[in-house]
Amino acid sequence: MSLLTAIILVPLLTALGLVFVPRNLRFGVRLIALASSALTLLLALVLFAGYDSAAAVDGFKFVQQIPWVESLGISYHVGVDGINLGLVVMGAIVAFAAACCSWEINRYEKEFYILLMVMTGGILGAFASLDLFFFYFFHELALVPTFIMIGVWGRGERKNYATFQITLYLSVGALLALAGLIALYLQSGANTFNIVQLTAHLKDQPLPAKAQQFIFPLLLFGFGILVSLWPFHTWAPLGYGSAPTATAMLHAGVLKKFGLYGLLRVALPLMPEAAQQWVAIIAALALGNILYCGLVAIRQRDLNLLIGNSSVAHMGFCFLGLASLSLIGVSGAVLVMVAHGLLAALTFGLSGYLHAHAGTLQMDQFGGLLRRMPFIGAAMVMAMLAGCGLPGFANFAGEVMVLFGAWKSFSWVVVFAAWGALVIGAVYMLRAVRNLLHGPLPEKWAALPDANLWRKLPFALLLGALLVLGFWPRLLTEKISASASGIVEMSNAGPERLLLKKPLRPLPVRSTAKTASQPKAAE
Amino acid sequence: MTLEALPWLILFLPLLAAVAITLFFQKDEERSANFSIGAVWIGFALSAALLFFTAGKAPLETAVNWLDVGGLKADIGLRVDSLSLLMLLVVTGVGGLIHIYSRGYMHGDAGFSRFFASLSLFTFSMLGIVLANNLLMMFIFWELVGVSSYLLIGFWFEKPSAADAAKKAFLTNRIGDFGFLLGIILVWATLGSLHFGELETALKNNPQALGALATTAGLLLFCGAVGKSAQFPRHVGLPDAMEGPTPVSALIHAATMVAAGVFMLCRIFFILNVPGSMALEVIAWIGGFTALLAALMAVQQNDIKRILAYSTLSQLGYMVMAIGLTAPGAAMFHLTTHAFFKALLFLGAGSVIHTLHHEQDIWRMGGLKTKLPVTYLTFLIGTLALCGVWPLSGFYSKDSILAAAAEHNIALFILGVTVAALTTFYMARLFLVAFLGPAKSDAAEHAHESPSVMTVPLRLLAVPSAIAGFFGLEAFLEKFFHPAEAGHATSFLETIFAPFNHSPLAAFFGLFAVLLGGSCAFSLYWNATRDVLPEKIGLLSRAMRNRFYFDELYEWFIARIQEALATFTDAFDRWIVMGLVRLTHGSVELTGRALRLLQTGNLQTYTFLFAAGVVALLYFVLH
Repeated sequence: MSLLTAIILVPLLTALGLVFVPRNLRFGVRLIALASSALTLLLALVLFAGYDSAAAVDGFKFVQQIPWVESLGISYHVGVDGINLGLVVMGAIVAFAAACCSWEINRYEKEFYILLMVMTGGILGAFASLDLFFFYFFHELALVPTFIMIGVWGRGERKNYATFQITLYLSVGALLALAGLIALYLQSGANTFNIVQLTAHLKDQPLPAKAQQFIFPLLLFGFGILVSLWPFHTWAPLGYGSAPTATAMLHAGVLKKFGLYGLLRVALPLMPEAAQQWVAIIAALALGNILYCGLVAIRQRDLNLLIGNSSVAHMGFCFLGLASLSLIGVSGAVLVMVAHGLLAALTFGLSGYLHAHAGTLQMDQFGGLLRRMPFIGAAMVMAMLAGCGLPGFANFAGEVMVLFGAWKSFSWVVVFAAWGALVIGAVYMLRAVRNLLHGPLPEKWAALPDANLWRKLPFALLLGALLVLGFWPRLLTEKISASASGIVEMSNAGPERLLLKKPLRPLPVRSTAKTASQPKAAE
Repeated sequence: MTLEALPWLILFLPLLAAVAITLFFQKDEERSANFSIGAVWIGFALSAALLFFTAGKAPLETAVNWLDVGGLKADIGLRVDSLSLLMLLVVTGVGGLIHIYSRGYMHGDAGFSRFFASLSLFTFSMLGIVLANNLLMMFIFWELVGVSSYLLIGFWFEKPSAADAAKKAFLTNRIGDFGFLLGIILVWATLGSLHFGELETALKNNPQALGALATTAGLLLFCGAVGKSAQFPRHVGLPDAMEGPTPVSALIHAATMVAAGVFMLCRIFFILNVPGSMALEVIAWIGGFTALLAALMAVQQNDIKRILAYSTLSQLGYMVMAIGLTAPGAAMFHLTTHAFFKALLFLGAGSVIHTLHHEQDIWRMGGLKTKLPVTYLTFLIGTLALCGVWPLSGFYSKDSILAAAAEHNIALFILGVTVAALTTFYMARLFLVAFLGPAKSDAAEHAHESPSVMTVPLRLLAVPSAIAGFFGLEAFLEKFFHPAEAGHATSFLETIFAPFNHSPLAAFFGLFAVLLGGSCAFSLYWNATRDVLPEKIGLLSRAMRNRFYFDELYEWFIARIQEALATFTDAFDRWIVMGLVRLTHGSVELTGRALRLLQTGNLQTYTFLFAAGVVALLYFVLH
């Protein structure tokens, strides 16, 4: 059994095991969940330590493949390369932190932890899968608990509306992506869901341009909605604002990155010609995320809505990095994905702590908390500074790479993105610090407690990870760029291939696609 | 231990101190102050050692790779040459004295340890800028300096004005950094490197390498300096930064941080000074304009720290102007002397403020000459040096700038002389009102000298403030910027009188300006108890006092526009985009409700509808 399989199985088996634990053993349930996510984290760290990009087979390590439905070419197939390695480890860190931050849940604990464990397993599975079927399946496995958790354990008056909206949006997004993935499977003619084989196959026999032009937008908008691509972003701030802390941490931090990962792993390299036609649009929409959502964040009075909007804004850098189709930009995008995952978990965790004690997150009601809560306050200042791209935190390295990488193709977009990163980001982040932590302390908060040692643990862990990657981004970038170079190369292959194989172009596009797919259907 | 290890130690010791204090010694005031002070003084000693060991050798470089992806290679690399060595000594030396002084000034403050941790973090960031050997690393520490000054200005964060000032200072910096970053990207994209040495070689081999982008790139990089060194139109932030404790004002807003912009311009001078670039011209005029504007503003301020803050702005304008006049050596020279005497002045002001229980209005001081003898005397030296009285340090450095102006641009020369006269005027006003004349408040009557932990740094700073002018600094810098021309050794006496031989026009006009400004101030403020200037110049005085309404303009232009845009976007998001979602939601729900009407569960209705359907079908088929 691959280490990766163990990482996925630990939380899923824990979920199964928790079903048999009596529900009045509240502390026991929590302890089991904590132990299990700690074990997952430990295994993930072992995975990270054992990863060596040079020794990878086919570019992947820790591979395990078990055929499942051979006639359709579906198999359980997991493995990591430099791109998803960071995501898996980040996912495990955030999952552990989320479990730590779940102490605020005080009803139906058992069900909550079961769902949390299912979500964790699904997330890790989705990022580890090298088979399109399981890739999608694991994502859904993680997505469904999200809806339930917001609906049942959510907070605020607009909880039901938020649940409705997030379910609607994400289901539509997932469906579009599913349609795109199935179309890709049928059109490729390789009769396999195996991403590695599919990539190799399409490298030699690229998809016809017509098919690309039809599938790419499906994947772009399907995945895009899952990542809150502007203007399909409204579900995110409200959804996170209403979600219980752990769910917001896991979804905003990790699960959301699934769409970006899908774009990077599937859409860009497998449909390069369409990708090149669409990148300008992606870059423009990314600017929508960065500027528009940044400006919206400035106006928020509720801390969670502010964080939610800022998290949407940060996704813009990932999109911009991917759209650059350059090694620097794409590697930067992956680094931002990891960094933002840690940061989103940190900020939602902190706001969750505040909400649990104060019962509100309306920023104008606070002030001067730094004196009262030195640890939480200091962590929040650091998180906010990381959020506006301060060097020393991983986000800076990622965002700078994106800006450098995108300069050659989209100079003007970079100009505005830099404004969004440096100025707009600073405006809302500092405003939050000013309103929450600085100024005089209102009397009613004089009894707010600072975190004790155990509550500090998840925040210290997340901050530590952000700082380590910020001081030493090579820890990840070397691995990322080694694996991303192949993808970047494929994504850029379009025009030359177009020129080289010009005589092949007039081939009847649709009929080849059909003949390729029909025999399979007949089997 | 090899020589390469020294700069690393100098750089990282303050960070180590900051981390140790934050994590382990929050409660232990004694130890946190010792760590912080120790780190910076060891840095000073090591810098001096470096100066000694690298004298006459090629620049020392040492690096570890930070990021290397695609064509983007950025090191954390340290470059030790004359420029960075001088700056290292200024930062650790002046900074070290301010560290010691802070120990007395901050005594008894609840955040004593936090203060020293922030101070060390700041020192670390500042040293990073000084030692950086590439643009990206400089930007990294540039940002860190911004954030540590945010922490220090907002040190008394419970005070709303301090919290707001910190926020504003950070944002002001950030707007400059925006241009700086774009400039860095532009240079990297055109020249393919971030490393100063490589860039210089590339531009030496092909001065046209930047092509039509030379001016743009130069000005974008200059944006960073505009933000840090508070040049027009970003000059509004600095006086607000006086909200921090006074040692912070001395360290950040006089000696080091604000000088970072000037230092950076000197470091990248080879990028600015390429044929076909208009950047230097613009820089010279912005610098000159800032110098004049700030000097005018200083004339009618009453807060002792604000007067010094505007004076700093004005002097920074001089330095920036010097760079624009292709005299980076003069700029660095003035930067160094200014660091000495401005730190001295700020610390002296701090000593007065400290003893008067946080009184900052000069019209409530007076008669301090006998009560604070050490502060009085050292402040006098600082004032004379700032005014540019021969043979104090300020005279020489200001003279080298005026000489450069006389050589290149006569309009800026006149402007520079005017600013010199104004400088003397407002400094004499400050000195006459605050230290001489009758005591104008109870606190001033009962003032007594500050403890020696505060006065010793004052004495120590007074020495270089007085003599740094003829100490060979200028020759040291000339050798760096113009290695070909240097080499003529001069005797000590010659150096003292050098300005009069070198550029008599500049020297005499400079002294004339001092006399003019000084005598005006004497006639107005000798033994004065209130300011009579407003009656004489009326409206102009009000405009000066209100800083020509730049703050309001800034507030309106930057804050309002951004705010309006944000409000609009938020409303759009709330009503249009969310509205569409609600519409989808509504229409689905409406359809559902409509369809529900059909499913009543009533058998008769179903039968009726069934029959009606059959009839309708038959009618269509048979018709």
